Amino acid sequence: MEVLKKKYTVVVVDDCSKDNSKKQLDGIPVYYLRHRVNMGQGAALQTGIEFAKRKDAAFIVTFDADGQHDSEDIPGMLDFLEEKKLDIVFGSRFLPGAKTNVSKSRSFALNLGRYINYIVSGILLSDSFNGFRVFTKYTATKIKITENRMAHPAEFLMMVASAKLKYAEYPVNVHYSDYSKAKGLKNRDGIKILFEIFLHKIFR
Amino acid sequence: MTIIQIVLTICIALIAVYMYLRLRSTLFDLILIILFFCIGTFFVVFPETTNDIAKFVGVSKGANLLLYSAILFLFFLILKLYSRLRRVEQKFTELVRNKSLEEAEEPSEKN
Repeated sequence: MEVLKKKYTVVVVDDCSKDNSKKQLDGIPVYYLRHRVNMGQGAALQTGIEFAKRKDAAFIVTFDADGQHDSEDIPGMLDFLEEKKLDIVFGSRFLPGAKTNVSKSRSFALNLGRYINYIVSGILLSDSFNGFRVFTKYTATKIKITENRMAHPAEFLMMVASAKLKYAEYPVNVHYSDYSKAKGLKNRDGIKILFEIFLHKIFR
Repeated sequence: MTIIQIVLTICIALIAVYMYLRLRSTLFDLILIILFFCIGTFFVVFPETTNDIAKFVGVSKGANLLLYSAILFLFFLILKLYSRLRRVEQKFTELVRNKSLEEAEEPSEKN
Protein backbone atom coordinates (compact mmCIF):
# COMPACT_ATOMS: atom_id res chain seq x y z
CA MET A 1 0.00 0.00 0.00
CA GLU A 2 2.74 2.38 1.01
CA VAL A 3 4.41 1.78 -2.33
CA LEU A 4 1.39 3.05 -4.24
CA LYS A 5 1.26 6.27 -2.27
CA LYS A 6 4.76 7.04 -3.49
CA LYS A 7 3.55 6.93 -7.09
CA TYR A 8 5.43 3.82 -8.08
CA THR A 9 3.88 1.47 -10.58
CA VAL A 10 3.29 -1.91 -9.01
CA VAL A 11 3.25 -5.20 -10.90
CA VAL A 12 1.86 -8.23 -9.10
CA VAL A 13 2.70 -11.64 -10.50
CA ASP A 14 0.37 -14.28 -9.15
CA ASP A 15 2.09 -17.64 -9.52
CA CYS A 16 -1.16 -19.56 -9.64
CA SER A 17 -1.83 -19.10 -5.94
CA LYS A 18 -4.94 -20.65 -4.49
CA ASP A 19 -5.68 -18.03 -1.84
CA ASN A 20 -7.67 -15.77 -4.15
CA SER A 21 -4.97 -13.12 -4.48
CA LYS A 22 -7.03 -11.50 -7.21
CA LYS A 23 -9.86 -10.71 -4.80
CA GLN A 24 -7.52 -9.19 -2.28
CA LEU A 25 -6.18 -6.83 -4.92
CA ASP A 26 -9.67 -5.66 -5.81
CA GLY A 27 -9.75 -1.88 -6.13
CA ILE A 28 -6.00 -1.52 -5.70
CA PRO A 29 -4.46 0.00 -8.82
CA VAL A 30 -1.76 -2.49 -9.78
CA TYR A 31 -0.87 -4.45 -12.86
CA TYR A 32 -1.95 -8.01 -12.33
CA LEU A 33 -0.35 -10.96 -14.10
CA ARG A 34 -1.24 -14.54 -13.43
CA HIS A 35 0.62 -17.73 -14.27
CA ARG A 36 -1.86 -20.37 -15.32
CA VAL A 37 0.38 -22.98 -13.74
CA ASN A 38 2.49 -22.70 -10.60
CA MET A 39 6.09 -22.42 -11.68
CA GLY A 40 8.04 -20.99 -8.77
CA GLN A 41 9.42 -17.72 -7.52
CA GLY A 42 12.23 -17.47 -10.05
CA ALA A 43 9.75 -17.81 -12.92
CA ALA A 44 7.42 -15.21 -11.42
CA LEU A 45 10.31 -12.81 -10.94
CA GLN A 46 11.31 -13.14 -14.58
CA THR A 47 7.72 -12.59 -15.72
CA GLY A 48 7.59 -9.37 -13.69
CA ILE A 49 10.90 -8.18 -15.14
CA GLU A 50 9.72 -9.09 -18.64
CA PHE A 51 6.55 -7.06 -18.12
CA ALA A 52 8.49 -4.07 -16.79
CA LYS A 53 10.70 -4.21 -19.88
CA ARG A 54 7.66 -4.17 -22.13
CA LYS A 55 6.32 -1.15 -20.28
CA ASP A 56 9.71 0.48 -20.81
CA ALA A 57 10.33 1.05 -17.13
CA ALA A 58 13.46 3.09 -16.42
CA PHE A 59 14.04 1.44 -13.05
CA ILE A 60 12.86 -1.87 -11.72
CA VAL A 61 12.49 -2.81 -8.07
CA THR A 62 11.98 -6.41 -7.03
CA PHE A 63 10.45 -7.21 -3.73
CA ASP A 64 9.43 -10.25 -1.73
CA ALA A 65 5.67 -10.30 -1.48
CA ASP A 66 5.38 -11.60 2.07
CA GLY A 67 5.81 -8.20 3.69
CA GLN A 68 9.33 -8.73 4.97
CA HIS A 69 10.66 -5.74 3.05
CA ASP A 70 10.05 -2.09 3.75
CA SER A 71 9.03 0.13 0.83
CA GLU A 72 10.56 3.05 2.75
CA ASP A 73 13.91 1.79 1.51
CA ILE A 74 13.10 2.24 -2.20
CA PRO A 75 13.86 5.99 -2.55
CA GLY A 76 17.19 5.59 -0.79
CA MET A 77 18.17 2.70 -3.02
CA LEU A 78 17.13 4.57 -6.17
CA ASP A 79 19.15 7.65 -5.17
CA PHE A 80 22.11 5.45 -4.36
CA LEU A 81 21.82 3.75 -7.77
CA GLU A 82 21.76 7.04 -9.67
CA GLU A 83 24.33 8.77 -7.56
CA LYS A 84 26.92 6.05 -7.99
CA LYS A 85 25.90 5.34 -11.60
CA LEU A 86 25.38 1.69 -10.76
CA ASP A 87 23.58 -0.95 -12.80
CA ILE A 88 22.07 -2.70 -9.82
CA VAL A 89 21.71 -2.22 -6.07
CA PHE A 90 21.20 -5.23 -3.81
CA GLY A 91 19.40 -4.82 -0.51
CA SER A 92 21.22 -6.20 2.50
CA ARG A 93 19.90 -6.77 5.99
CA PHE A 94 23.40 -7.26 7.37
CA LEU A 95 24.94 -3.90 6.50
CA PRO A 96 25.23 -1.30 9.26
CA GLY A 97 22.07 0.80 9.37
CA ALA A 98 19.66 -2.04 8.62
CA LYS A 99 17.17 -3.26 11.16
CA THR A 100 16.24 -6.90 11.11
CA ASN A 101 14.85 -9.53 13.43
CA VAL A 102 16.54 -12.42 11.67
CA SER A 103 17.17 -15.42 13.89
CA LYS A 104 20.62 -16.81 14.77
CA SER A 105 20.11 -20.02 12.83
CA ARG A 106 18.81 -18.19 9.77
CA SER A 107 21.74 -15.82 9.97
CA PHE A 108 24.09 -18.78 9.94
CA ALA A 109 22.34 -20.42 6.98
CA LEU A 110 22.38 -17.16 5.02
CA ASN A 111 26.04 -16.68 5.76
CA LEU A 112 26.82 -20.15 4.46
CA GLY A 113 24.65 -19.47 1.42
CA ARG A 114 26.45 -16.29 0.50
CA TYR A 115 29.75 -18.12 0.26
CA ILE A 116 28.16 -20.78 -1.91
CA ASN A 117 26.81 -18.05 -4.16
CA TYR A 118 30.27 -16.51 -4.17
CA ILE A 119 31.86 -19.77 -5.25
CA VAL A 120 29.43 -20.24 -8.15
CA SER A 121 29.15 -16.61 -9.29
CA GLY A 122 32.27 -14.80 -8.10
CA ILE A 123 30.22 -12.12 -6.36
CA LEU A 124 30.33 -11.95 -2.58
CA LEU A 125 27.41 -10.08 -1.07
CA SER A 126 26.73 -9.61 2.62
CA ASP A 127 23.17 -10.85 2.07
CA SER A 128 22.91 -12.79 -1.15
CA PHE A 129 19.42 -14.19 -0.62
CA ASN A 130 17.77 -10.83 -0.22
CA GLY A 131 14.99 -10.41 -2.79
CA PHE A 132 15.10 -6.62 -2.58
CA ARG A 133 16.87 -5.26 -5.65
CA VAL A 134 16.81 -2.05 -7.64
CA PHE A 135 18.17 -2.02 -11.17
CA THR A 136 18.10 -0.17 -14.45
CA LYS A 137 16.47 -0.93 -17.77
CA TYR A 138 19.88 -1.91 -19.12
CA THR A 139 20.33 -4.46 -16.35
CA ALA A 140 16.91 -5.94 -17.11
CA THR A 141 18.04 -6.78 -20.63
CA LYS A 142 20.93 -8.75 -19.17
CA ILE A 143 18.84 -10.76 -16.76
CA LYS A 144 17.10 -13.92 -17.85
CA ILE A 145 16.21 -16.20 -14.97
CA THR A 146 15.78 -19.80 -16.01
CA GLU A 147 15.87 -21.37 -12.58
CA ASN A 148 12.18 -21.40 -11.82
CA ARG A 149 12.35 -22.55 -8.23
CA MET A 150 14.95 -21.81 -5.63
CA ALA A 151 18.34 -21.45 -7.26
CA HIS A 152 17.51 -18.12 -8.87
CA PRO A 153 19.43 -15.83 -6.48
CA ALA A 154 22.62 -17.65 -7.43
CA GLU A 155 21.68 -17.57 -11.10
CA PHE A 156 20.94 -13.86 -10.80
CA LEU A 157 24.42 -13.22 -9.44
CA MET A 158 25.97 -15.31 -12.19
CA MET A 159 24.28 -13.12 -14.80
CA VAL A 160 25.31 -9.92 -13.03
CA ALA A 161 28.88 -11.22 -13.05
CA SER A 162 28.92 -12.35 -16.66
CA ALA A 163 27.37 -9.07 -17.89
CA LYS A 164 30.00 -7.22 -15.81
CA LEU A 165 27.36 -5.00 -14.25
CA LYS A 166 28.30 -2.41 -11.68
CA TYR A 167 26.72 -3.38 -8.39
CA ALA A 168 26.68 -2.34 -4.76
CA GLU A 169 24.76 -3.12 -1.61
CA TYR A 170 22.48 -0.91 0.40
CA PRO A 171 21.15 -1.53 3.91
CA VAL A 172 17.46 -2.47 4.00
CA ASN A 173 15.21 -3.45 6.87
CA VAL A 174 13.91 -6.98 6.90
CA HIS A 175 11.12 -7.81 9.23
CA TYR A 176 10.10 -11.44 9.63
CA SER A 177 6.51 -11.87 10.67
CA ASP A 178 4.90 -15.20 11.45
CA TYR A 179 3.35 -15.00 8.01
CA SER A 180 6.64 -14.56 6.20
CA LYS A 181 8.23 -17.27 8.30
CA ALA A 182 5.49 -19.65 7.23
CA LYS A 183 5.70 -18.62 3.57
CA GLY A 184 9.41 -18.20 3.18
CA LEU A 185 12.30 -20.55 2.87
CA LYS A 186 13.18 -22.86 5.69
CA ASN A 187 16.79 -23.42 6.58
CA ARG A 188 16.56 -27.00 5.41
CA ASP A 189 15.68 -25.74 1.91
CA GLY A 190 19.36 -24.90 1.70
CA ILE A 191 20.08 -28.47 0.68
CA LYS A 192 17.57 -28.22 -2.16
CA ILE A 193 19.01 -24.91 -3.27
CA LEU A 194 22.49 -26.38 -3.27
CA PHE A 195 21.31 -29.28 -5.39
CA GLU A 196 19.58 -26.98 -7.87
CA ILE A 197 22.65 -24.77 -8.18
CA PHE A 198 24.73 -27.89 -8.78
CA LEU A 199 22.38 -29.06 -11.54
CA HIS A 200 22.36 -25.58 -13.02
CA LYS A 201 26.13 -25.62 -13.28
CA ILE A 202 26.08 -28.97 -15.06
CA PHE A 203 23.22 -28.33 -17.43
CA ARG A 204 23.72 -24.72 -18.30
CA MET B 1 18.35 -74.80 -22.32
CA THR B 2 17.70 -73.75 -18.75
CA ILE B 3 14.47 -72.09 -17.63
CA ILE B 4 16.08 -68.66 -17.29
CA GLN B 5 17.34 -68.86 -20.87
CA ILE B 6 13.85 -69.60 -22.13
CA VAL B 7 12.33 -66.78 -20.08
CA LEU B 8 14.94 -64.28 -21.24
CA THR B 9 14.60 -65.30 -24.88
CA ILE B 10 10.83 -64.85 -24.72
CA CYS B 11 11.31 -61.43 -23.04
CA ILE B 12 13.74 -60.29 -25.74
CA ALA B 13 11.35 -61.51 -28.43
CA LEU B 14 8.46 -59.63 -26.83
CA ILE B 15 10.50 -56.43 -26.57
CA ALA B 16 11.52 -56.80 -30.21
CA VAL B 17 7.91 -57.25 -31.31
CA TYR B 18 6.79 -54.33 -29.15
CA MET B 19 9.52 -52.08 -30.57
CA TYR B 20 8.59 -53.13 -34.07
CA LEU B 21 4.95 -52.27 -33.49
CA ARG B 22 5.89 -48.92 -31.95
CA LEU B 23 8.35 -47.75 -34.59
CA ARG B 24 7.84 -49.70 -37.76
CA SER B 25 8.58 -46.56 -39.72
CA THR B 26 11.75 -47.38 -41.58
CA LEU B 27 13.74 -50.33 -42.75
CA PHE B 28 16.57 -49.11 -40.58
CA ASP B 29 14.47 -49.56 -37.45
CA LEU B 30 13.63 -53.11 -38.50
CA ILE B 31 17.28 -53.96 -39.04
CA LEU B 32 18.15 -52.46 -35.66
CA ILE B 33 15.43 -54.48 -33.93
CA ILE B 34 16.44 -57.73 -35.60
CA LEU B 35 20.05 -57.03 -34.67
CA PHE B 36 19.01 -56.41 -31.05
CA PHE B 37 17.04 -59.66 -31.04
CA CYS B 38 19.86 -61.71 -32.56
CA ILE B 39 22.61 -60.37 -30.28
CA GLY B 40 20.41 -60.64 -27.17
CA THR B 41 19.38 -64.19 -27.93
CA PHE B 42 22.92 -65.16 -28.80
CA PHE B 43 24.26 -64.04 -25.42
CA VAL B 44 21.39 -65.76 -23.62
CA VAL B 45 21.96 -69.06 -25.39
CA PHE B 46 25.78 -68.90 -25.18
CA PRO B 47 26.46 -66.94 -21.96
CA GLU B 48 30.10 -68.13 -21.85
CA THR B 49 30.92 -65.92 -24.82
CA THR B 50 30.43 -62.83 -22.63
CA ASN B 51 33.24 -64.08 -20.41
CA ASP B 52 35.62 -63.98 -23.36
CA ILE B 53 34.68 -60.41 -24.12
CA ALA B 54 35.03 -59.50 -20.43
CA LYS B 55 38.46 -61.10 -20.24
CA PHE B 56 39.43 -59.23 -23.38
CA VAL B 57 38.64 -55.83 -21.79
CA GLY B 58 40.03 -56.88 -18.40
CA VAL B 59 36.96 -57.76 -16.34
CA SER B 60 36.82 -61.19 -14.71
CA LYS B 61 33.25 -62.21 -15.55
CA GLY B 62 30.77 -61.41 -18.30
CA ALA B 63 28.03 -60.67 -15.78
CA ASN B 64 30.23 -58.03 -14.13
CA LEU B 65 31.00 -56.39 -17.44
CA LEU B 66 27.28 -56.26 -18.14
CA LEU B 67 26.63 -54.63 -14.77
CA TYR B 68 29.30 -51.96 -15.25
CA SER B 69 28.22 -51.06 -18.73
CA ALA B 70 24.55 -51.07 -17.70
CA ILE B 71 25.22 -48.60 -14.87
CA LEU B 72 27.17 -46.31 -17.18
CA PHE B 73 24.49 -46.51 -19.84
CA LEU B 74 21.70 -45.83 -17.37
CA PHE B 75 23.55 -42.87 -15.92
CA PHE B 76 24.02 -41.47 -19.40
CA LEU B 77 20.32 -41.99 -20.03
CA ILE B 78 19.36 -40.15 -16.84
CA LEU B 79 21.53 -37.18 -17.81
CA LYS B 80 20.02 -37.10 -21.28
CA LEU B 81 16.51 -37.30 -19.92
CA TYR B 82 17.15 -34.64 -17.32
CA SER B 83 18.56 -32.16 -19.79
CA ARG B 84 15.60 -32.87 -22.06
CA LEU B 85 13.30 -32.26 -19.11
CA ARG B 86 14.95 -28.93 -18.42
CA ARG B 87 14.54 -27.85 -22.01
CA VAL B 88 10.88 -28.82 -21.96
CA GLU B 89 10.33 -26.98 -18.69
CA GLN B 90 11.98 -23.90 -20.15
CA LYS B 91 9.69 -23.92 -23.16
CA PHE B 92 6.70 -24.52 -20.94
CA THR B 93 7.68 -21.61 -18.70
CA GLU B 94 8.02 -19.41 -21.77
CA LEU B 95 4.53 -20.40 -22.84
CA VAL B 96 2.91 -19.70 -19.48
CA ARG B 97 4.87 -16.45 -19.19
CA ASN B 98 3.82 -15.16 -22.59
CA LYS B 99 0.23 -16.04 -21.83
CA SER B 100 0.33 -14.13 -18.55
CA LEU B 101 1.99 -11.15 -20.27
CA GLU B 102 -0.71 -11.09 -22.91
CA GLU B 103 -3.46 -11.28 -20.34
CA ALA B 104 -1.94 -8.69 -18.00
CA GLU B 105 -4.68 -6.68 -16.34
CA GLU B 106 -4.30 -2.93 -16.30
CA PRO B 107 -4.62 -1.11 -12.99
CA SER B 108 -8.17 0.01 -12.33
CA GLU B 109 -8.99 2.79 -9.94
CA LYS B 110 -12.29 1.62 -8.61
CA ASN B 111 -12.14 3.02 -5.10
